[in-house]
Amino acid sequence: MSVLAAAPTEIYESGDSALRVVAISEAGEHNWLTVHGLADWLENCGAEGLHGAVPTYDSVLVEFDPILVSARQVRAFVKLGLLELGRSAGSATAPQEFDVPVVYGGEFGPDLERVAQHQGISVDEVIRLHTEKTYTVRCLGAPAGSPMMDGPAFPKPVPRLKDPRLSVPAGAVAVAGRQAVIAPASAPGGWCVIGQTPLSVLNIRREPLVPYKPGDILRFRQIRAEDFGQYHGVELEPQAMASADVDLEKSGAQP
Amino acid sequence: MSGEILIQQPGNSVVTDLGRTRGPRFGLPVNGALDQYSARAANILAGNLDNHPLVEITALDFRMKSTTDILIAVTGAPLTLTVGGRPSSQWEPVSVRAGETVSIRGIHRGLRAYLAIHGSIEAETLLGSVAPDTVVGFGLQLKEGTRLLTRKSVGPVRQPYFDLPLFRLGLDRPRMDSDLLVDVTDGPDVAEFGASGELLFTSEYAVSGRSNHIGLRLGGELPERTSSGEVLSRGVPVGAVEVPSREELLVLHRGRGVTAGYPVLAVVTSTGLDVLAQARPGDKVRFRKTTVAEATAAHRRSRAHLETLRESVNTVFGLLGIGCRPQWQDLPVAACS
Repeated sequence: MSVLAAAPTEIYESGDSALRVVAISEAGEHNWLTVHGLADWLENCGAEGLHGAVPTYDSVLVEFDPILVSARQVRAFVKLGLLELGRSAGSATAPQEFDVPVVYGGEFGPDLERVAQHQGISVDEVIRLHTEKTYTVRCLGAPAGSPMMDGPAFPKPVPRLKDPRLSVPAGAVAVAGRQAVIAPASAPGGWCVIGQTPLSVLNIRREPLVPYKPGDILRFRQIRAEDFGQYHGVELEPQAMASADVDLEKSGAQP
Repeated sequence: MSGEILIQQPGNSVVTDLGRTRGPRFGLPVNGALDQYSARAANILAGNLDNHPLVEITALDFRMKSTTDILIAVTGAPLTLTVGGRPSSQWEPVSVRAGETVSIRGIHRGLRAYLAIHGSIEAETLLGSVAPDTVVGFGLQLKEGTRLLTRKSVGPVRQPYFDLPLFRLGLDRPRMDSDLLVDVTDGPDVAEFGASGELLFTSEYAVSGRSNHIGLRLGGELPERTSSGEVLSRGVPVGAVEVPSREELLVLHRGRGVTAGYPVLAVVTSTGLDVLAQARPGDKVRFRKTTVAEATAAHRRSRAHLETLRESVNTVFGLLGIGCRPQWQDLPVAACS
């Protein structure tokens, strides 16, 4: 990812081992490109003592070892990186695209009706809005490298659950605020779960652990509950020439 | 020569290291030993590299047996350590003969102990670390009958060496009290709490039983967020102090999810995180404000202390013919006696 020039930023102390850099331009897209470009630059700059960077929407958390490098030095790296962003041509690779089959509602999406009610629209309309959008993976978040995305065009933000669930299954497709996500692993969660994909998203025997990265494209596609088993356990993979159905045959899954 | 360690009573124990520093980039928490000072000290005392895999024992009694002669070191929470029934010292290298049982009992002040074995132990890695990640289901939780492979054997270290005050190293052992003082710096969102943020420094908090490696929940007077509105998910530092509910303060530790949408009131310092790693349910916590510069200086002082320890250990191990250097075992026995 590269940008012509970095968005203006503010840097906040975040303890003795991290800094938070926030991009503060009016343009969300520019902020996002800036923090991800900075994270990539920091990742590759080879500076001693930098552990890594966690970029999200408008901010990046830069983690470092305070024995090897001081917060002041890291601040200087960050400023250098921001300047470099404007200079480098960047090596943006084409985004990968993913097709994500989802069973909506029922036991797969226990909060679907609640979301529809709160939005004042029908369940079908919620599904239509959710499948209609083309999603860009904005960042990898908790838990386990979840693809965090801008949410569907719902009339209003979706409130989080008052009582977060102790366990949300892997594959849960959820929305909250103006965001959308898939849960790669089972974990507690306060987002509204509207569906579930039968595909396996996380594979800890493989690197990277999740197949997508920030900037990649995701689309949700409704499938019937009876077809859940047909896809169950098949790994989420980028779409190549072949369609998802052909991939399914290759993996040997039986309908 | 490698050997095998048989876990007889696992209690609550895992194989870990200093953490998965590459994890947060990929949405995985850093995890690893919660009390980093004690974990490093254990490995140094066992003649290992700081980041070598070792055993983290939380709260419960633990027993194991080795098929070969080994050298171990146990640090962290105070406890009763016996080797082959003989009382042995913590924070010192301890020689264990083949077949002897190592028993760790009675952790009652502090919560976590660290057991390092010279030459370390074999364990699978994920993104370069053996540290367990409970969310993705990775890691080696020890069970009764688990067999760990050790990489090196160390013959029994003979007296008089361990009788000499060689190992009275003046090592700072962390204090383990039920009243904990934890240093924090202002968080990036401190302004969102207005004047109520000061409550963090005037109140006393009680550690809830619902605390773990992900975070500690603390009951007490809670600062309140004065701003409202949706916060976009952001990377959260280890040590972040948040007020997610009206009931408890949440202090995130090394197992924290890397992103969240709550404002960060304060951040616990590196040395403060080691203190919290030893907090037991019911313990009292007070927070003290410091600056990043002071926190960094304190952290560096504590690490310098461990470097001094490393030098002393290297000297003594050199004398005894124990070492990490390759082929040390090929040295003539005469060099060791």
